[in-house]
Amino acid sequence: MTEQVYPPWEPPFAGTEVEHVLGSLERMQATFRWKADGLSAAQLGTPLPTSALTVGGLLKHLALQEDYCSAVKIAGGSMPGLWHDLGWDQDDDEWEFTTGAQDPPEVLYPLYDGAVVRARDIVTAAIEERGITGDSGVRLPDGSQASIRRVLFDRIEEYCRHTGHLDLVREALDGRTGEDPPSDWRP
Amino acid sequence: MPTNQSEMSPSVLAGPPMSGTEIETLVGALERNRRTFAWKCGGLDADQLRTTVGASSMTLGGLLKHLALVEDEYFTRQLTAAPALSPPFDAVDFDADPDWEWRTAAEDSPEELLALWESCVARSRANLATAYAEGPDAHSPTPWSGDRTPTVRRLMVDMVEEYARHTGHADLIRESIDGLVGEGVPE
Repeated sequence: MTEQVYPPWEPPFAGTEVEHVLGSLERMQATFRWKADGLSAAQLGTPLPTSALTVGGLLKHLALQEDYCSAVKIAGGSMPGLWHDLGWDQDDDEWEFTTGAQDPPEVLYPLYDGAVVRARDIVTAAIEERGITGDSGVRLPDGSQASIRRVLFDRIEEYCRHTGHLDLVREALDGRTGEDPPSDWRP
Repeated sequence: MPTNQSEMSPSVLAGPPMSGTEIETLVGALERNRRTFAWKCGGLDADQLRTTVGASSMTLGGLLKHLALVEDEYFTRQLTAAPALSPPFDAVDFDADPDWEWRTAAEDSPEELLALWESCVARSRANLATAYAEGPDAHSPTPWSGDRTPTVRRLMVDMVEEYARHTGHADLIRESIDGLVGEGVPE
């Protein structure tokens, strides 16, 4: 039997927990980026008739979430200053969705790509320092803290669910469908 | 964007433990996804379960039947090394009819679709409990590629991804049917 060749974002078959959790995130980052790739400003701001979600809004939301989950929830620090420069309104839960639908591709794609790189570095360093069972920066009322493991599992779920949204929004824009990026595609 | 548990919604909290073992976290994530998915598909009639959105042919009925199939393939056929899928999937030639479950869901009643999904989930829970009693590093008895067999960990992380992404599809389809939106099941 010929051994199948897997793309670089394929998680391991029998890796450690950390390899699988990070592998799952890497696969979904690649998939999300591919589904969002190569669109015009008009396409990035075009929703389905029955939902307000746009590709631009999803790109900006996940860029914000990459930074929020890593810098705040995992590292226990604060958001990178660039979000304040962008006018982030923390009191408006829809801010990144509404403004992301208006932003041009030359803003949205680098914003997302930069956030992914920052998050990868923070998560890797946190796991090296404290292990996946180590404390995150998420506090419970009794003073204990959620583990890094818990925050990362939430992250996988959120990524996949938004990629599901992107699947349907993108298909309506230009017919792009598929579960995974083509194996020769690179971000 | 809360990092304090007291600010999080009850349904989000009713997921994986804040600082549990790997298996507790995997099971908690999987069960939360199943619960959210069932909520998004619940309380609809046959016509509503056949509704599509945008350019996609996906329906909530198709999603119920597809996830029933994937539950049976991963956690019953593969984990128990069964010679075939469970009924009704065992009678289908998926090579000749790869979209069988999506296509035929339109002929099924809501009660049939839900009962099929629930029966597959019940078998999955029993088989998984046996499999992960030996730990997440235990290998599935069914190879994927050549002689490479995935671990129970890999199957479970893949299934969390599968559910979360399809729940993203369900989000947009359901919103188009009756306007129901939301991240987690209301209390």
